[in-house]
Amino acid sequence: MAKYLIQRIIYMIITLLIIISATFFLMKIMPGSPFNNLGGKITPEQQAFLEEKYGLDEPVPVQYFNYITGVFQGDFGVSFQYENRPVSQMILDRIGPSAELGAQALIIGAILGIILGMIAAIKHNTWLDYSSNIIAVIGISIPSFVFAGLLQYYLAVKWQIFPVSFWESPIHTVLPTIALMIFPMAICARFMRTEMLEVLGSDYIELARAKGVSNNSIMFKHALRNALIPVITVLGPMTVSLMTGTLVIEQIFAVPGIGEQFVTSINTNDYPVIMGTTILFAVLFVVVILIVDLLYGLIDPRIRITGGKE
Amino acid sequence: MDPILDVKNLNVTFDTYGGKVQAVRGVNFSLKKGETLAIVGESGSGKSVTTKALMGLIKKPAGKIPEGEILFDGKDLAKLDNKQMQKIRGKDLSMIFQDPMTSLNPTMKIGKQIMEGLILHQKLSKQQAKERALELLNLVGIPYPEKRMNQYPHQFSGGMRQRVVIAIALACNPKVLIADEPTTALDVTIQAQIIELMKDIQKKMDTSIIFITHDLGVVANVADRVAVMYAGKIVEIGTVDDVFYNPKHPYTWGLLGSLPTVDSNEEKLMAIPGTPPDLIHPPKGDAFAARNEFALAIDFEEEPPMFKVSDTHSAATWLLHENAPDIEPPATVKKRMAGISVEGERQS
Repeated sequence: MAKYLIQRIIYMIITLLIIISATFFLMKIMPGSPFNNLGGKITPEQQAFLEEKYGLDEPVPVQYFNYITGVFQGDFGVSFQYENRPVSQMILDRIGPSAELGAQALIIGAILGIILGMIAAIKHNTWLDYSSNIIAVIGISIPSFVFAGLLQYYLAVKWQIFPVSFWESPIHTVLPTIALMIFPMAICARFMRTEMLEVLGSDYIELARAKGVSNNSIMFKHALRNALIPVITVLGPMTVSLMTGTLVIEQIFAVPGIGEQFVTSINTNDYPVIMGTTILFAVLFVVVILIVDLLYGLIDPRIRITGGKE
Repeated sequence: MDPILDVKNLNVTFDTYGGKVQAVRGVNFSLKKGETLAIVGESGSGKSVTTKALMGLIKKPAGKIPEGEILFDGKDLAKLDNKQMQKIRGKDLSMIFQDPMTSLNPTMKIGKQIMEGLILHQKLSKQQAKERALELLNLVGIPYPEKRMNQYPHQFSGGMRQRVVIAIALACNPKVLIADEPTTALDVTIQAQIIELMKDIQKKMDTSIIFITHDLGVVANVADRVAVMYAGKIVEIGTVDDVFYNPKHPYTWGLLGSLPTVDSNEEKLMAIPGTPPDLIHPPKGDAFAARNEFALAIDFEEEPPMFKVSDTHSAATWLLHENAPDIEPPATVKKRMAGISVEGERQS
């Protein structure tokens, strides 16, 4: 197990290096400089001075080398746009709300989706199945900002149950969470239903029935665990995209999250912030994939890494 | 002796998009204590559906038992609901499935899968159930049971898995054990082992066994009595000797004739021509008539009743009617019958 983990971590570092390099050079290909969007307010001399100050006058390979050494020392540079604020600080300030919103949406969405999918499978071809199908299709096909608008209009403006926007107290998180959770919920429900139907038709469920196991035990002790495996596969990448900020929802509800900051930094060629945020997303992604792989082992003994010898 | 299980006029139908499939059409048989009854027949003849009906495993609402009785222990199992059947399944009646590779839960330890039934039906404590599970693993011949208890199905070979499935089925000392082609998915060498194991267990526990198979060699080896099914009906039933050495139904002749033997290389293997009838619209008269070279005119008009050949032997064919012409089974079938007797002795 330890050997496997070390191996995986080495691969993770290699993956990250490739992502960092690719982003770095892609960013350099982007037209413009961080300082030419100030509307001609600075003279060419001032611009040259600034570029020298931030090391932008050096050849690209040297900049690349400097950046990588910095990253390994935990230094992600300072923002070009926000008065020399360190990138790590900027990300830390913004990641909190995004992560909180994403985690809430994911956990609630996944649980509701799994329950919905199970009900649909158990009550296969009844009105319950059809309605859960309709909910899932709506959730998958209608974008989250439509729900966001509807929620704001009815629950906040018309009936005034929840605040319209901002990120101040738990009650403020309710609407954005609902808007954001509908998609993961729908996806989980679809996967869960399909998997559950397959599992319920399998021979080992029939054998469990032949043992005299009750319907409830069959669902929860025998079927659920086997049906969860593919659901976990889709949940992994979804976790990352939800936790790293969903730009549209953050904009609509005025959530001070990281998604909004990422877009701004790209528009203004704020190289260190782009890099820092990309690295954060990449790290989260590879870590989540590792966690998903470890979870597989926990749920499915056939994939267990330390599995017994035949 | 009173039969332990008595099936009377059992009918099973399935609603499909194409119409109502009459999978089982009036099956009658009984099973005595300690006896092995083999049910043979080709795919789709209703063997498995019959046993699923006994276990109450017919999938509702598509599957129904519109008619018939399954008398067991003073109860009619066909009338019980799922809750009541749960108490009988796995306790008094249990089942071994065809494919051991898929019939164990891949994410549950073997020990737990065996203990589940014990805890459920015999209200044993975890510790007691564990001890009993170890005993069972020993009984079915799994080495290192202590270690094997904590392993998962993928760590077992096919033959070992089938032993586990048998252990699960035997857990609560069932009165009737239904084995649905328990050796079909296994290697020939393993098949022999599993059959020996089942015979051995039957001797020890005095269980009645219903053995479904289409392997006539296995039947000769394990069964006391044989029921031949065709198109949802039993067409011939009797002791192994009755059915193998004195078969009366042309379908049984066909089955025996299509059985290859070690020294049958000189001629072409006999086959039954045609295909089984569509059970959505079962044919008028004898369902086998269209494929039967000995069919009489009446076979196409009226269904033959069960004619008694002897106290233990009966067959549903008009050939047994007193007015029917005397027809001898084809020569190859006679040869086969002789072949089986030699082989049967070889195996036992």
